[in-house]
Amino acid sequence: MKIAVQGSYPKIPAGSGASVRTQIQRFDRGLGSPKDLERSYREVTARVLNLAEDVGLDLTTDGQIRCNDWFDPIVRDIDNVYSEGLLRLFDNNFYYRHPVIRGRLAFQGGTLRYWTEQATKISKVPVKVAMPGPFTFLALSEDQSYHDYDRLLRDLLAVLKMQRESLAGIGTVEVQWDEPSLARDASLDPVQVKEVFHELLAESSIAQSVALFWGSRSHRWLEPLADLPLTTVYCDAVVDPNVFSALASTKWPFAVGIGALDARNVRLEDPADLARQLEPILHRQSSDRVILHPSSGLELLPPDRAEAKVRRLAEVRAAVLGTVKS
Amino acid sequence: MSQILKTTSVGSFPKPPELMEARIRFRKGDITREQLSAAEREATKAVIRLQEDLGLDILVHGEMERGDMVAYFAETWQGFEESLPVRSYGNRYYRKPIVVGRVGAKRGLTVDAWKEAQALTAKPMKGMLTGPYTICDWSFNAFYPDRRSLVLDLAEIVHQEALALEEAGAEYIQIDEPAISTRPEELELAIEAMAVVTTGLNAHTISHICYGDFDTIYPKLLDLPVDQLDLEVANQGFQLLDLIAAHPWPKQKELALGVVDVHSHGLESIASVKEGIYKALETVPADRLYIDPDCGLKTRTWEEAEAKLRLMMEAVREVRQELGSE
Repeated sequence: MKIAVQGSYPKIPAGSGASVRTQIQRFDRGLGSPKDLERSYREVTARVLNLAEDVGLDLTTDGQIRCNDWFDPIVRDIDNVYSEGLLRLFDNNFYYRHPVIRGRLAFQGGTLRYWTEQATKISKVPVKVAMPGPFTFLALSEDQSYHDYDRLLRDLLAVLKMQRESLAGIGTVEVQWDEPSLARDASLDPVQVKEVFHELLAESSIAQSVALFWGSRSHRWLEPLADLPLTTVYCDAVVDPNVFSALASTKWPFAVGIGALDARNVRLEDPADLARQLEPILHRQSSDRVILHPSSGLELLPPDRAEAKVRRLAEVRAAVLGTVKS
Repeated sequence: MSQILKTTSVGSFPKPPELMEARIRFRKGDITREQLSAAEREATKAVIRLQEDLGLDILVHGEMERGDMVAYFAETWQGFEESLPVRSYGNRYYRKPIVVGRVGAKRGLTVDAWKEAQALTAKPMKGMLTGPYTICDWSFNAFYPDRRSLVLDLAEIVHQEALALEEAGAEYIQIDEPAISTRPEELELAIEAMAVVTTGLNAHTISHICYGDFDTIYPKLLDLPVDQLDLEVANQGFQLLDLIAAHPWPKQKELALGVVDVHSHGLESIASVKEGIYKALETVPADRLYIDPDCGLKTRTWEEAEAKLRLMMEAVREVRQELGSE
């Protein structure tokens, strides 16, 4: 069984050490230079990657240490998308600047590629990049320009594909499309979702996955996504416990990610309990095609608890090995 | 004729640098609690002086003794543990409390600060509380079996605190519930909990709500058992007023309209604030419409906070004059 993380990670240390928060404060007060700020981004990213190596993760992100929020790289890399007022990010006490579309989308590029390259250059663990998928972007953004869903969707898919391809050739092993909207929204039509993803995933030079979290409908998307060229579908099994039975009962053509560690609560899962729950899934899928991960990015936890969750992944894997052997 | 378009502020004010320094020194053990309290009193005086100078009608004490609207209570109440900081947006962090046991409290935590502040002015001073639903939502629950049992235990504690404020003489008691739109399926629970809090109170009750998806909880939100709903509206370009206008405004309810964005450095124009006020007046009568900023001002600098309040007051004065009331 593989272990991985999903997206964001705290930008501050649990104890002493580099802190993006402190450096931004110093920068804003004129006490730190742009070079100091850049150094802190690199040091904190390195800390995330070192933890991944130390724990023995099979796949990691860069912790999205440079991102203000999910849409930050999109706003920077796609023309005519602007950050506007703060809105709550789904049911989290976290607020994002909602993207507003004020003109035709065009790919400008460069920022996410640069940020990713800073991680892939130094990481001993393979690095994937997580970014909002089209349905989540459309749900959380505001269109002040197109007023035509189909035309907007067409352009959005085009620029997201260009963003994905900009990550090729720099060591990115996977692009993960984050789609909490799919996990939450009962009104989305599976046929349309399939068509959109068929287009989004086409012409890719990088492996692609979908991450479904923060909603109770993750397991319902396994079937509609089964025909698509996805390497992995990650599901939040904390909000949607039906994921366990869906993965235990059917062998899926993609690798399955099971988000069984709660990325939004400090309570630590019991490795032996989880190992028991994972056993039927490992029997149904090939064990090397099961990935255990936190239910979502870990930045919603304090840094000490986030680290404990990452370490718990390895502890659960050890318990799984014990269970399987016995 | 009683004043129309009464003006107020939502709660927090920016902490002056001397107080920030005192808080850091207190955490390090370099100064005593009494010395920190003295710094807080000085800052509170400045907050009240500013509001009086600008001519606000109902004042707040600025929450100089509070770091965060949930952590402040959790630090003192039983059953909570403090966490390391968690990011809420941009570079803002808060210490998200962890519920580790049954919650409980000695009555009257907020009373002394309210009494001291009220003694400094002849104008009414709001008593400021955080609602049970928000305290639950913005804490990690590592103890209770479900959210409902935690929310209802918290409601009883907040009720006792509200009674203590009323007994001390508070005419206005504000119970903030910014998390109320987080999970629309739990709106009934939030309403039930607020009923526990406000039952038997004779004081004027207010609930401040911000940064959520109001579409999902309106008009049911009007059932929240308080005299006044205080809503963030400017942040979204006053679009919320379209939703409010689509339903009859209840005869017994007041609306406090947020007219300046507290998360933007930029200063609004008087014309845009007046436009928002006139739009609200199409639905809510002037004697039941209050004017304030979108949210607490603590994220602004002192100068920005003062400028936003000054502009708000100027816009209100102009509208009052145009309506023949001043």
